[in-house]
Amino acid sequence: MTEMNSSSRAAAGFSLKALSQSVNRPSITLAAILVALVLSAMRPPFLQYLRPVGDFYIALLKICVLPFLLSTIPLAVRSAMTNGSAGGTLRSLVVWLVITLASVASASVMVTSMIFSFASVDERTIANIGVLVGQSSDSMDVEFAIDSQRTSGNFVIGETGIFSVIPTNVFAALAANDSVRVLCFALIFGVGMVMTERESGYSIFGALRHVQAVCITIFEWFSLLVPIGIVALIAPQVALLGANAFTVLALFAYAFVGTSLLLLSVAILISAWSLGVPFGAVFTALLKPMMLGASTRNTLVCVPIALEALKDDLKVKRELCDLFIPLGFATVRFGTILYFIVATLFIGTLMGRSFSVPDLGMLAVFSTVASFATLGLNGIAALSPLAVVLRPFGLPYEIAVPLMIIVDPIAELFRVMLNVTINCMVSTGASGRDTTQTIATSS
Amino acid sequence: MGYISRFGWIARTRWLGLARLAICAALAALPCGAQETSERARAFHDLQSIVDAQVLRVAVTRFDLPAFHVRRPDGTLAGAEIDMAEQIGRALGVKVEFIDDADSFDAVVDLVATDRSDIGLSKLSQTYRRLHRVRFSEPYIRLRHALLFNRSVIGQDAERRSPAEVLQGYSGRIGVIGGSAYVDFAKTNFPAASVVEARTWDDVIASLIAGKIDAIYRDEFEIRRIVKNNPALNVKFGTAAITDQEALLSIAICDTCSKLQEFINYHVERTKHNWTLKALLATEQGK
Repeated sequence: MTEMNSSSRAAAGFSLKALSQSVNRPSITLAAILVALVLSAMRPPFLQYLRPVGDFYIALLKICVLPFLLSTIPLAVRSAMTNGSAGGTLRSLVVWLVITLASVASASVMVTSMIFSFASVDERTIANIGVLVGQSSDSMDVEFAIDSQRTSGNFVIGETGIFSVIPTNVFAALAANDSVRVLCFALIFGVGMVMTERESGYSIFGALRHVQAVCITIFEWFSLLVPIGIVALIAPQVALLGANAFTVLALFAYAFVGTSLLLLSVAILISAWSLGVPFGAVFTALLKPMMLGASTRNTLVCVPIALEALKDDLKVKRELCDLFIPLGFATVRFGTILYFIVATLFIGTLMGRSFSVPDLGMLAVFSTVASFATLGLNGIAALSPLAVVLRPFGLPYEIAVPLMIIVDPIAELFRVMLNVTINCMVSTGASGRDTTQTIATSS
Repeated sequence: MGYISRFGWIARTRWLGLARLAICAALAALPCGAQETSERARAFHDLQSIVDAQVLRVAVTRFDLPAFHVRRPDGTLAGAEIDMAEQIGRALGVKVEFIDDADSFDAVVDLVATDRSDIGLSKLSQTYRRLHRVRFSEPYIRLRHALLFNRSVIGQDAERRSPAEVLQGYSGRIGVIGGSAYVDFAKTNFPAASVVEARTWDDVIASLIAGKIDAIYRDEFEIRRIVKNNPALNVKFGTAAITDQEALLSIAICDTCSKLQEFINYHVERTKHNWTLKALLATEQGK
């Protein structure tokens, strides 16, 4: 009787997984994107009704994100600490991460500055951009007091950077869905759990593994809805960008989207090279988390599906993936680095400022540092560290904000895709392939 | 002797009384000295003299102040300030006569100070200098002082200060309308800056666009109106509001007209809710 129950559960689990894989085939994902883009271009009246459907889908995906992180991180810490080769793997991860950060920043600066050096902004475009800025801003750019003692509110520094990751109250962080602090807590707590397990021999890692399995099962249920989610989330989002806005900001869009596609291709190519598998196999495996990221515009909800793609589809070594993917997705924002670089060069072009080679080097460094200052910030607030990048070049943050808000519906999709894909590349490069498993090169 | 003395005293008293009467009569009958008449007229130049004359003389600038007062193609005046002057005239029960030959804001104050008009209405800010010469009503609108500045110049600060910090201690060239209160305001609030006066506001704006000056200074309405009507300027020029400096736009009133001031203050208090920055910017004349 018990055997029958377990076999039927296994059959049900298998069929669910098979159904999920079938629904999330690359052809269906690409078809969903195509439908979304066609709908956003046609702008049918019912497009606005898709937004609540998309919001509902994101809400479903978020259900298990925090329990998943709380179970996965301590398990990954344990795996890394008990594995004899953990030190070497972590060193390899740090090297890959540093090189990737430097490469992404350098490549972004070089490619984007080349694009802007060939393209020029005419007076008519500047006038149209002025119209866009004027329409989106109904207040003064700067406010100050002649009596400096009365000046307030202009230089308020929020809780960003390193302070935004310290989990002073993990329960408040959990209640506020503050995933960066939760991750930090899980990391510290995981180390503590391993240490006490060694001393007392007692642990709850078995229970955590069960919690992780439950979360994965629930994610599989919801992944059946990915194609619907892609259409419901991407179509209204892309439609937000008016035709006029796109025409005016075409130069920014071309530079950002073009460089993003280049970086995505190179990241997939390096992943394929480091795993020794064809480009198509990596593209097929990573398409699912990339598109989930693009549609939800939320990197963390892609963690389970990215881990599945890396561990199950690409057979990347599990230990480092489990540890790095949640941390990397939450803290290393490659898309933001590119975004800050393109925004700075674009505003510079508008204002007629040229950038020397040392300027470009400084821009790469400032953008990388500023991307870490966005930790704990989301939406428009995450743009505020851009001021740190613009100011040394004498460029106005006040004009950048309305322009970035206009172009953000498109830019956000690519930012998340870059965060997901390049973090996966770092993980594959640092971990390498689990040679005990073989990869299916066709779906 | 005593009798004579008594009669003598009576006679002297009578003579003194007659002399007194004569002096009094002479004084009373004196429609004489023009100087004395003028003093008397000045002493009584207030609400009642305006009501008696059945006309309220209102000085305004010769040039348009869009949304406040503009000249229509048919030559008549229109705008929120014109409406307000006519409301005051109706409340007084007199007709309103506009004197519109003042070629500067200070010239409007001059007209009121020299009794050539009873009140002056032209976006007049209260200043210490003007208060020496005329009275002012309570402000009918308070507008923050504001700047339109060249983003590139303000952004290229050697000490890498924020635009707010650079503007706070601004030491470049700042443009204002000559003969306006902003000449005084600029000298007081930006002592390190070079104040460049131009004849009209359009000339001030043209100097900024041509790069002859790096910032222009007036109230928030005028600064926002520039970028509202020419949004292309948003890219190269930024707007800044000064949070602790306000232009108190008030009606200039003849220096002796205390009762008229009271009357106008009552009207301003009753109607000032109609005066908002948003409403002014939304008017057809504000475009």
